[in-house]
Amino acid sequence: MSVQVLSPVTGLVAPISEVPDPVFSQSMVGPGVAVKPSGGESQAVAPVEGILSTLHPHAFVVSTDDGSAVLVHLGIDTIELEGAGFALHATKGERVTAGSPIVTWNPTEVERQGYSSVCPVVALEVGQEALSDMADDGRVNHGDPLFTVDS
Amino acid sequence: MADDKASAILAALGGQGNVVEIEPCITRLRCELEDGAKVDEPALKKAGAHGVMQQGTVVQVVVGPEADTIASDIEDLL
Repeated sequence: MSVQVLSPVTGLVAPISEVPDPVFSQSMVGPGVAVKPSGGESQAVAPVEGILSTLHPHAFVVSTDDGSAVLVHLGIDTIELEGAGFALHATKGERVTAGSPIVTWNPTEVERQGYSSVCPVVALEVGQEALSDMADDGRVNHGDPLFTVDS
Repeated sequence: MADDKASAILAALGGQGNVVEIEPCITRLRCELEDGAKVDEPALKKAGAHGVMQQGTVVQVVVGPEADTIASDIEDLL
């Protein structure tokens, strides 16, 4: 089984190695792709269909029926914002469809407060070889295909 | 099993007396300690940590998506 992973945000695709956090840049929890959001208030959407198994204001995980789990992290070290500026549209444990809105946030405001707004999108606990069809570096809209993960 | 992991991580952080605060963040435990020198990085790796990042008394233990569960298990032990 494989699942197509959608970009949670609108912005520019970048290699995950450019993310300023070793957990992501060194793929400690799994491989993925980064998206640098284009600014202003915007929605982060579910990258896949499944259960919203973890939900924080600044990050969430969607677990698919075939056992994959995709992590979206909205900015780096943004846990320190303690939820300020992040509005949730879903609840933990809820079933979500790919592309449905999860969080409204403002990447420009995150940057203004001194944090990177880059969004790592990570296939948790799989090897690099599980990823294919990686989007080319360049612009994506939220809901556009980002990569495919095999489970 | 999960509790074993939590207690192994807690021991490798210098035990309950050394932990000021533990906060889970999706894939990692963000820990504030009394004494950063008490961190036993090989023991953390042995307990299942994918990585350990330390700056003084602040240690981030990368444990993967079970971080929330492990943090609450550790809090039960404190």
